[in-house]
Amino acid sequence: MLASVTMDSAGVVLRSSGYWTTVWRRFRRDPVAVAALAVIVLLVLVAILAPWIAPQDPYKGMTLRRLRPPGTDGYPLGTDELGRDMLSRLIFGARLSLFMGVTPVLLALIIGSAIGITAGYIGGFVNTVLMRTIDVFFAFPSVLLAIALSGAMGAGIANGLISLTVVFIPPIARIAESVTTGVRGLDYIEAARASGAGAISIIRHHVLGNVLGPIFVYGMSLIAVSMILASGLSFLGLGVRPPEPEWGLMLNTLRTALYTQPLLCALPGVMIFITSISFNLFTDGLRSAMDIKA
Amino acid sequence: MLIYIVKRSVYTLPIMLGVSVVCFLLVHLAPGDPLVSVLPPDASEALRQQLLALYGFDRPYAEQFLKWLGRAVTGDLGTSIRTSRPVSVEVSKAVLNTLSLAALATVIGFVLGTLSGFVAGYFRDTWVDKLASGLSVVGVSVPHYWLGMVLVIVFAAQLGWLPPTGAGPGGSESWVWDWEHVRYMVLPAITMSVIPMGIIARTVRALVAEILSNEFITGLRAKGLSSFGIFRHVVKNAAPTSLAVMGIQLGYLLGGSILIETVFAWPGTGLLLSDAIFQRDLPLLQGTILALACFFVVLNLVVDVLQTGLDPRIARS
Amino acid sequence: MTIAAASPVQTRPPDAGRPLLEVNDLVKHFPIRGGLLGRRRGVVRAVDGVSFDLHAGETLGIVGESGCGKSTAARTIMHLIRPDSGTIRLAGKVPGTAELSLKAFRARVQMVFQDSYASLNPRLTIEESIAYGPGVHGLAGDEAIRRARRLLDRVGLDPLRFAGRYPHELSGGQRQRVNIARALALEPTVVVLDEAVSALDKSVEAQVLNLLLDLKEEIGLTYIFISHDLEVVRFMASRVMVMYLGRVAEIGPTDALYDGGRHPYAQALLGSMLSMDPDHRAEQAPLSGEPPNPINPPAGCRFHTRCSFAEAVCSAKAPVLAACGAGHSAACHMADPGSGHSRAQAA
Repeated sequence: MLASVTMDSAGVVLRSSGYWTTVWRRFRRDPVAVAALAVIVLLVLVAILAPWIAPQDPYKGMTLRRLRPPGTDGYPLGTDELGRDMLSRLIFGARLSLFMGVTPVLLALIIGSAIGITAGYIGGFVNTVLMRTIDVFFAFPSVLLAIALSGAMGAGIANGLISLTVVFIPPIARIAESVTTGVRGLDYIEAARASGAGAISIIRHHVLGNVLGPIFVYGMSLIAVSMILASGLSFLGLGVRPPEPEWGLMLNTLRTALYTQPLLCALPGVMIFITSISFNLFTDGLRSAMDIKA
Repeated sequence: MLIYIVKRSVYTLPIMLGVSVVCFLLVHLAPGDPLVSVLPPDASEALRQQLLALYGFDRPYAEQFLKWLGRAVTGDLGTSIRTSRPVSVEVSKAVLNTLSLAALATVIGFVLGTLSGFVAGYFRDTWVDKLASGLSVVGVSVPHYWLGMVLVIVFAAQLGWLPPTGAGPGGSESWVWDWEHVRYMVLPAITMSVIPMGIIARTVRALVAEILSNEFITGLRAKGLSSFGIFRHVVKNAAPTSLAVMGIQLGYLLGGSILIETVFAWPGTGLLLSDAIFQRDLPLLQGTILALACFFVVLNLVVDVLQTGLDPRIARS
Repeated sequence: MTIAAASPVQTRPPDAGRPLLEVNDLVKHFPIRGGLLGRRRGVVRAVDGVSFDLHAGETLGIVGESGCGKSTAARTIMHLIRPDSGTIRLAGKVPGTAELSLKAFRARVQMVFQDSYASLNPRLTIEESIAYGPGVHGLAGDEAIRRARRLLDRVGLDPLRFAGRYPHELSGGQRQRVNIARALALEPTVVVLDEAVSALDKSVEAQVLNLLLDLKEEIGLTYIFISHDLEVVRFMASRVMVMYLGRVAEIGPTDALYDGGRHPYAQALLGSMLSMDPDHRAEQAPLSGEPPNPINPPAGCRFHTRCSFAEAVCSAKAPVLAACGAGHSAACHMADPGSGHSRAQAA
């Protein structure tokens, strides 16, 4: 059962809803998932509206006022090691942290899906070549690959994005190939071929619609991991560089205050945690909503 | 079965070859001067050329690769530019440290995760399940390096119960099996165990729930099998996959230990990697990545073989 | 609703003119890959030399046990699977060549599949699924939708109620009607029905069969009707082809086969049908033995291991399709004078 159906007493179908409408309706009934979605939306809004909500300039700091605890006058969350307002830094940090977490997954979705769908549809030799190459990258644990790539290329936002994208392409390509191969064997694809359609038309009209859904959901489940990994790279000094506000980087630079201002030190991590868990709960809820066992 | 083992082992060879190629390319296509860590900035061009020739950096890439690979196969991973010690020595010392840590973390994660997952699966959709599942989601979502910092804050800085960093008193380089050193391992191991625990808990919960919903369980109950008997069935069916997941998690911990080792200054492969990156010590970097990746490949092989041994369906497919 | 075990609806003598579809020596083997590098370990001889003619306006039934190659043969004729050797001609032209493009061939030969649900893209509405084929062949979007709606009406589904529905909202019988409409959308001359009614309830099956017969009359179609249900084939087909292990065992007019085929396998198969008449009980024992492996079929006549009339010549030489009546041939040494079999009539 993919969508819901309303029937009158004679069994005549009155109104039928599409697939995603039903998914949304099921999703709405899960309070945890909805709350998670709300948090995500809130975070995105904060990131977008940062210049207007942040009370102070995140780059300007006064060394006289460094490492003030939360609750200090004028600095609700205290100041960092260079005297910059923590609240503003955290708000602006949402921009870079979200960007570094989401963008690699989006890019990997595009590239990985292209590779996987092609391999899955054509099959045979092309499939073997593509998938074995992907297997080589799978031989590296993801953290190691990300760090090795970043380490090799050097720090910086662009390099960080590239290395994370490369890390996420193999798993997405694998899922894409697997789902496409599954669809490829179904009769309606044979019927489409029997109609005389060419490969491009079949992929466009018959494969994509049935394949992109699962791939997309899988991609979403990777965002939480990506956020942690991206912040981790910055934490090590391999991603975002100072003075940019980014949660992982902030964790790194505030480590000096571990003993003196522990609460301050822990704040950026709280933000990463909140974002990550929200994405995880959201995708969990989405998956349950999509998994309809009639 | 034996044929499967042989086939699967042979299959790892091209993978390892691919891995070594990627490894080499990663490091050598990177921008930056390979000699930056040994050469003072005002060194003469002649000295530079001498050192380049000494390390073999002036040869064409293909030649460098083959030479390096040829030596690596015999166990000689070159010499670290920074410390002038053989890379293999550095790596093996570090691997032991990381392995001890990762092994403990995996055991903790597996035990706690399996318990939590079992309970959640058995009592599905009750508050017990919600609690256990909630904990596992937290485990998977928490940035472990941050958790490490928090634990250090709480247990070392504030309470002073455990040491904050290092592998032993006086900043020792290796970890040994004695009480002194165990204290140093507690915090990093707990931190490391959190993600595997979350993943294993989720996997086990899904497995248990799926097995219990199978019709053959209903059949067994109808025949009067005791709860303990059913429990044994569930364990037998869930074991292959959960052990496989545990093995894979161990692999990820080995490869991804750098973050935790940075927080705790644990002298393992992660810290070694970090040093190699920031000092641009190419031989060390190459050797460490290669060793870790190959370890991971071999681990995957072992896990696959064990899983096939435990689950006969796979071997026949 | 019972199906009368009577003569088929249409009795057409073999056309004197050129057959609509000619299949000659069709062969399709599937390699079995195994080992480290995926080496060929053997082949499944799914279709191993099938030849027959299809005449315009008739319904050719194809029957046989599971694994005899009926579906593979159908898919190979449709060019969904590429044949290893053999020729297929539609009205004398070879598809996939300059004289008849594959696309043009597809417009003339269409197929209805067994699994009504898997044959329809779950993401497309009914009319979109039907309109897809014509769209591919150049028909404008709204014109294709109009044609789809006309066809829905023709197969007995009210377009107003069904056009915008999704496949999962329909019953099995309704979905098969949609599949038939989809097959007709390209205005073909030949329709291959591969176990098209096998998955339906009996009452629904009867309705769909009658629909197929009506359409055939109205439009003037030619059917290839593949089924394992011998009663249904008897009802629908004017000629029947019996396949065994990738080869044709016997082919001829329905009545001739059902009343007493010449090939021992055809006799056993068609004679194994349960009779409604208690006075006509089965006298022969049904087939004995296991159906052999299409990977290693027996040498010579493939049926000889289960045949009660087998002799030395049967394991030595493969029989050819020998004529044994008007438009009726059997691949059995007993029907072939001069084969050397003791029961063969002398030439």
